[in-house]
Amino acid sequence: MQVAGITTPIEVFVASRERRFRINELLIIDDPNQGPLVGEVVDASSYNRFIPLSVEHAFSDAHVVESLKHLGYSIDEDEINIAKVKLMSETSFPVTTGSPVRLPGFGEVKSFLMRGLREDGLLLGEIKNTEETAKTMDRELKGLFYIYSAGKPKRTENVPFILDLKSFHQYPHIGIFGGSGSGKSFGMRVILEELMKHRIPTVVLDPHYEMDFSASQEGIPEDENFKRHFSRYQIGEHIGVEFLNLSKRDLLSLLSAVSPLSEAMSSAVEVLHRRGDTYLSFSSRLEDLAQALEIGRARIDSALRQGMEPQEMERFKKMKELLENYQNIPLPSVQGISWRLRRLQVSGLFSHDIKPVKEAMLQGKLAVVQGPIWLLQVFSTYLLSNIYRQRRDYKDGELRGQTPGDYFPPFVIATDEAHNFAPKGRDAAPKGIITEIAQEGRKYGVFLVLATQRPTLLDETVTAQLNTKIIFRTVRGSDIATIAEETDIKPEEARRLPYLPSGDAFVSSPLFGRTVAIRVRFPYTASPHTVNPIDEIKNRRLDSDEKLLSLISPHLPIYAASFARAVEDINRRSDEKYEVRTLKEALDALVEKGRLKRQPSPLGDIYIV
Amino acid sequence: MLEMDISLKKRFEEAAAALKTRLEKKLDRDFLRKIIAERGAGSFLKCKEMDSDMLASIVEKGGIAGVDGSTNSKGGIFPYIITLQQALAKHAGSGQELMLSDAFSPLLFEEDLSEDDYRQHIKKNLSILEANAAILAVEEFKPAVLLIDGSLVRFKIETSSLWEKLKQKALDNGTILVGVVEGISTGIISSVLDDVMPQLSYRAMDWEVLFGLLEMGEVLEMAPDLFKEGLRTCFARFSLDPKPIGIDMPEEQYAFLNQIKDLLFALTPKNGRGIPLWLDIIDNKVRITDAMMEGLLNACLGEDYAEYILAKRSKRAI
Repeated sequence: MQVAGITTPIEVFVASRERRFRINELLIIDDPNQGPLVGEVVDASSYNRFIPLSVEHAFSDAHVVESLKHLGYSIDEDEINIAKVKLMSETSFPVTTGSPVRLPGFGEVKSFLMRGLREDGLLLGEIKNTEETAKTMDRELKGLFYIYSAGKPKRTENVPFILDLKSFHQYPHIGIFGGSGSGKSFGMRVILEELMKHRIPTVVLDPHYEMDFSASQEGIPEDENFKRHFSRYQIGEHIGVEFLNLSKRDLLSLLSAVSPLSEAMSSAVEVLHRRGDTYLSFSSRLEDLAQALEIGRARIDSALRQGMEPQEMERFKKMKELLENYQNIPLPSVQGISWRLRRLQVSGLFSHDIKPVKEAMLQGKLAVVQGPIWLLQVFSTYLLSNIYRQRRDYKDGELRGQTPGDYFPPFVIATDEAHNFAPKGRDAAPKGIITEIAQEGRKYGVFLVLATQRPTLLDETVTAQLNTKIIFRTVRGSDIATIAEETDIKPEEARRLPYLPSGDAFVSSPLFGRTVAIRVRFPYTASPHTVNPIDEIKNRRLDSDEKLLSLISPHLPIYAASFARAVEDINRRSDEKYEVRTLKEALDALVEKGRLKRQPSPLGDIYIV
Repeated sequence: MLEMDISLKKRFEEAAAALKTRLEKKLDRDFLRKIIAERGAGSFLKCKEMDSDMLASIVEKGGIAGVDGSTNSKGGIFPYIITLQQALAKHAGSGQELMLSDAFSPLLFEEDLSEDDYRQHIKKNLSILEANAAILAVEEFKPAVLLIDGSLVRFKIETSSLWEKLKQKALDNGTILVGVVEGISTGIISSVLDDVMPQLSYRAMDWEVLFGLLEMGEVLEMAPDLFKEGLRTCFARFSLDPKPIGIDMPEEQYAFLNQIKDLLFALTPKNGRGIPLWLDIIDNKVRITDAMMEGLLNACLGEDYAEYILAKRSKRAI
């Protein structure tokens, strides 16, 4: 290998007869004048002068090549490999042409491949095309995990890619970008597994109900058990919002998450909600007011004059009072607030609190919060504000030298579909708190891991604060443009984005000062959603076939005439609800599949095994 | 200016017409083929691409090797020039190479040479280099077949002692010598068919007569008494290119023509210029490029001296 052609202080071409180059490989150029220089292959090509591209040239004759091969000469031997190599740091002079080039030992390029200690880092995957360098690596860095390749997991042979946890203090937030099927979810899973390994308190907002870490991935001999390190909570089922603790702002955002609030409704909530309100007190106030507005002052007055049961009297008095206090609020607003509130109540949101999440975090666990996206948006606003405030109060107290309040640890917030939580150009309930954490979280040790398939739709302030970006395959031009703008990704790499294999990614981090091509490691745990829906249908059909066969077998052989009795028996013995017609159809289907036989007979068709 | 242009155009047209008339007087293809066969001047043979079994048996006997040479002169006006020559032998199986090279200049000679003498010397010296490379190739590689770019006759003419040595070595080692001639400069056919050939100012060259006459994969084997020098020659067309090539073999090894023609046919790209690819590969390796010459001149002579001898012509800006 040697430097060829015209060189610059930034970029050179390296040619080799024997060695094929791979993109992202690190090479060492032994410049006789400037000492060893480290460079990265950004483009690789091969050329065979006997097999030119042009049609005019003599070479499309496979037979001749074959004959020569028989005579012992393989035309491939005349291949020349050329790599475009970008230097890691600019040199003072152009690189000397003809300088020998070699592969680096691990020690020579360690600073470009690894930052921080292995014990303090998140082991995300392997750095691509570093096998040769990895051979000279310390033993404890070798083969740390599995990589999914060619359809099965295999132990890594490359240099590991380690994201230093301690660097979070400096570069706190991570963005994960990539289209569906790009390996983004795997990447997220790996990060969360690593956070669990280090017992970092983490909240995961999981709109896809996929963040379960109890099932082990098949095909890996080593087993990491995460069961004790995470808890799953469903909003309304296990956790919720304590109405009593809601501020007016919280309540407004909760209600508007159900459906946007009109100006009138917002101001109505402002006046109607009082400190110390419970769900009951607030909702009955709304109902009474609605009724009062409906009945009207005149009729309430006349009803009060007529005299009635004391209990009834009490209610009418209250209505009168409400009407006096809030006479300017229009009825539709009250009704609008009322149904929004009811919807939240029905979802179970107000029947629980967020204590379980906080407890899990204090134990250094990963708390997975699941719910439909609209509810998750609302709830996360409340949850994140709450725990962020708690952490901030603790930390601020400590800084001011006051006796700190209850301890609350630093933590990580992770979510997929982040563009739903902090969308660009429109409002969403959690956008405020996420933006705040993006900007100030570093101070308090609150970190974000935001994944999205549409970086273009993510709020720009947030995107700008994501220091470390992990970029998987991205096809949309607008998203590639956003990525190119927001990262130090090179144009050559941006061009490769639409073609990245699933699981491959570029990591752009100020820590490395360059884009690193990695392959994400194979997670230890499997997502519950990995059964192919087509397989699911197939399996289910197979199951139901078996079931019907076992139910019908005591009745075989069966004549069409005896269907009625069989139906009765089958329905009694199982929870199926067959009718004569549907049973016949089901049996005909089994005949088609060859599980049963049908023969004509004088008494109509007969079904036999 | 205008008048002069007209007369120039006219003269050019006359010259072109001479070429054209020559082409138009070309004999009919079928007639020519018939008469060549009838007169016993030669016989047409069909080739078949050698199959892999036969190729394997050649490999068993030592495989094939090739020899080619290259020459390049650089400098100013004669005698301020330097000539570099190389001859390369390469074995197809092992990939082993033998390179012989030489460099000289008219200024090196004790007595003054004329430009023609020098040219003659260049030609002779290249033949010597190539013959030596061929001898070494036979000794070192012991190939079954040694392809040589260019005719074998020139060895005999330029350096007959080396030729005899080469031939003897080849016969001793059982290496078949094959000269592959790209630019045929003989006129054997028209000398035999003098009476039927159209009367022209220059006798038709063999390539001219054979242009388009052979079909692809066809060889015209010349009668043995037409070419005395201890060599046998034939013409062949191995690709779509209608211009034939020549094949030389020593009389003693001529019996192998049948296998050799099939071998060459198998090794020649059908869309190419009709030369076996192996010789092209060697040619590519041995070729001395102008850039290489310039580099050597600058390195050995120093740029100032190089500047001193370089002809003004070579510095033309447009």
